[in-house]
Amino acid sequence: MKRVLASVAIAILTFIIYIIFSGSVSPYDLLTACAAAVLVGALTGTFVVAEPAKALNPLRACHAVKYFFRYMLIDEVRAHTDVIKRIVSPRMPINPGIVKVPYYVNTDYAMTLIANSITNTPGTVVVDVDKEKKCLFVHWIDVKTVKPEEAREFISRVFEEHSKKIFD
Amino acid sequence: MKYERALIAVAIVVFILVLSYAVTLGAMGSTLPPRDLRLLAKLYLWLAINPWTRNLTVMSPEAVTSIVWDFRGLDTFFETAVLYLAIIGTVAIYRGVYASSKSREVPISEDEVGMSPIAKSVTKITLPIVIAVAVAIALHGHLTPGGGFQGGSTAAVILLLVLVVFSLQYSIRMGITKGSTLALRSAGLLGIAVTSILVLILGLLVGCQSFIFQNQPKAYAPVGVPAFLDGMLVSGTLILFNIFECLAVAAGLTLTFILVLTHEEEIRSVMKGDRHE
Repeated sequence: MKRVLASVAIAILTFIIYIIFSGSVSPYDLLTACAAAVLVGALTGTFVVAEPAKALNPLRACHAVKYFFRYMLIDEVRAHTDVIKRIVSPRMPINPGIVKVPYYVNTDYAMTLIANSITNTPGTVVVDVDKEKKCLFVHWIDVKTVKPEEAREFISRVFEEHSKKIFD
Repeated sequence: MKYERALIAVAIVVFILVLSYAVTLGAMGSTLPPRDLRLLAKLYLWLAINPWTRNLTVMSPEAVTSIVWDFRGLDTFFETAVLYLAIIGTVAIYRGVYASSKSREVPISEDEVGMSPIAKSVTKITLPIVIAVAVAIALHGHLTPGGGFQGGSTAAVILLLVLVVFSLQYSIRMGITKGSTLALRSAGLLGIAVTSILVLILGLLVGCQSFIFQNQPKAYAPVGVPAFLDGMLVSGTLILFNIFECLAVAAGLTLTFILVLTHEEEIRSVMKGDRHE
């Protein structure tokens, strides 16, 4: 049952991507999209999805959309402004270093979302991850603190809250 | 050292400037193609999809695919053959090497091999998305730019990513093996071969004249593959060629990736004759 549901989740994803990429909803597109969805779902379902109940939960998808807009419109803009200020400032106020940032989510997907959110904002880059100790190593353009918990407050707390709602 | 770099930069700039100046002056020949060539181009555009000249048209709005798989189908067949000869050459060099067949018995978990969990998660999510796009490119080959080769290459890229990110050992456990890709590639090639003589077989069965690489019915060969299927445009043999080419290219390229990623010690032990299967 779990396997079938995992395949269904991937089939839905494949169908949506196929239709978006084709850019039309003619009978030919719908038919071939269904065929592609069944094929890809059956082949990759269990590999991609471990817990189908989460993948098929529309509430989580809503959270993901909400987070996308929040991230792109607020977090990205804030980080860009900060880095632009540092670049144009003649004193070049940077204090780079690598800090340890713990995370408290359980799935790989949730951790990946946090890590990619950190890397995608300018000023911070995840350079390594320790899954056993559950921490990320982040290169920070302006190291305000080297204490892991405080650094987490600055860098990843907001990302983690959203990531938990979407993937964990 | 510094002067050397500056010299190289200047040399490149001068070379590009001189070359572009020469091209503008007409060093590469006349910019206009000869008149009769333009007539050929006109004919291709005129006949790619033309329901009023059913004896000559390909019935595909995508002129490039019409040319590639119909007007000059035989040419494309040999082009495909060249690519597969290269792949067959690779397989022949690595004969007897069954990538990490020993490690298949040892159960390994995902965390023990491959790259970081971040790379793995991203690859996992991207896998169905890229394959969906690859299938869409291949299945729309007779409608929009793209086709079997492009779709197959797209799929091969994500499979290469899986091979590298999850390691060859783990991929083999998941079923991406030399045997399975070889079988898929052969199925694709067989499909292309059968499609190329499909109308010929039909003609032999019906008892009328027909050609290899024939698609739509011609004046003296009134058999062909239907251009419409239940009202949907499939352009006869073009969709079949695209599907099989996609399968063959994706599997063929993945096969070479598997062989190239195989450990050198393993290959050497097979070639020395220590181990054979």
